[in-house]
Amino acid sequence: MRTIVKTFATLREAFGGRGVLYLDLPDGSTIKDLLKALRGCGSVDELDDLVEGRSSVKVLVNGREITYLAGLETRLRDGDVVAFIPPVAGG
Amino acid sequence: MSSPSSPRSPEDELTQSEAERYDRQLRIAGFGRGSQLKLKRAKVAVVGAGGLGSAVLLYLAAAGVGRIKVVDDGVVELSNLNRQILYTTEDIGRPKPEAASRRLRELNPEIEIEPLQEKLTDENAEDLLKDVDLAIDCLDNFETRFILNRACVSNSKPLVHGAVYGLEGRLMTIIPRRSPCLACLIPRKPKEAAVVPVLGSLAGLVGALEALEAVKLLAGLGSSTAGRLLVIDGYDLSFYWIDVRRDPSCPICGEKWWIEER
Ligand SMILES: [Zn+2]
Repeated sequence: MRTIVKTFATLREAFGGRGVLYLDLPDGSTIKDLLKALRGCGSVDELDDLVEGRSSVKVLVNGREITYLAGLETRLRDGDVVAFIPPVAGG
Repeated sequence: MSSPSSPRSPEDELTQSEAERYDRQLRIAGFGRGSQLKLKRAKVAVVGAGGLGSAVLLYLAAAGVGRIKVVDDGVVELSNLNRQILYTTEDIGRPKPEAASRRLRELNPEIEIEPLQEKLTDENAEDLLKDVDLAIDCLDNFETRFILNRACVSNSKPLVHGAVYGLEGRLMTIIPRRSPCLACLIPRKPKEAAVVPVLGSLAGLVGALEALEAVKLLAGLGSSTAGRLLVIDGYDLSFYWIDVRRDPSCPICGEKWWIEER
């Protein structure tokens, strides 16, 4: 299945400046599996923090934050859009 | 600091020139003279006079917010001018609060501007906030934002938070002890970037929204973004609302400070 990943701010930069990544994942994959797959695209501290459970990065699946779904265990479906939104501090 | 040429007019009425200056907003449904007088009597602290602060200050001054503190310890630099629309090329080298005050007094001589050439710290925060109705976060780094958040929570001052990065923006209003604070939103302090990329129009957009939030809070209009983070993605101009919950273990506004709505 195909997952569409939207990256924001510093994460966008960490993934080469492309705001959208397309990842092919096995059916039934979760956010946690997606994070593992993203690691293959480059190590990002902010994503590692997510796995550890205390992070400032908001994760949305089709616009809904995963804390209102099943958190890191949220199962993805073909075509889901997952957004990773870190805080920013510019002014 | 009141300008000597214009002694303040009474706080419970609008002068003829004020009625004319604010005519277009006095016509807004649900606004009217009562709301304008609330703005006139209000005092706010705008913390940071950069890209966000430029838009916030111009709109709050234009709207007739009666007393505005401008807090910044920087001077105007050439690299500021892509986004800091309060300043001109002539202002380069001038302290920002001073240059801002000059510009704002030209825009609206009927309000008071208090320039404060200092950096917000844990030591001076209480003093800076004690006499204001609310504060507006127009800062450019996480560290000072957390100082402002902590001071606003402990002094029970509403805080309008805004931030930008590149083509992106964030906005959330914080009502201390009633809605999640900045530390609930950002539990792990991120790394500070040495220099943050910013497009001027994004700072203007978020600054304009912060000014809107501030005016609504002061005038008692509409609803605020308390408990809801707005994320703006300027690349495709999409807007996301994220519900933010208070963190009961928040070191700044956690359980012991919480008062239940009755
Ligand atoms: Zn908090």
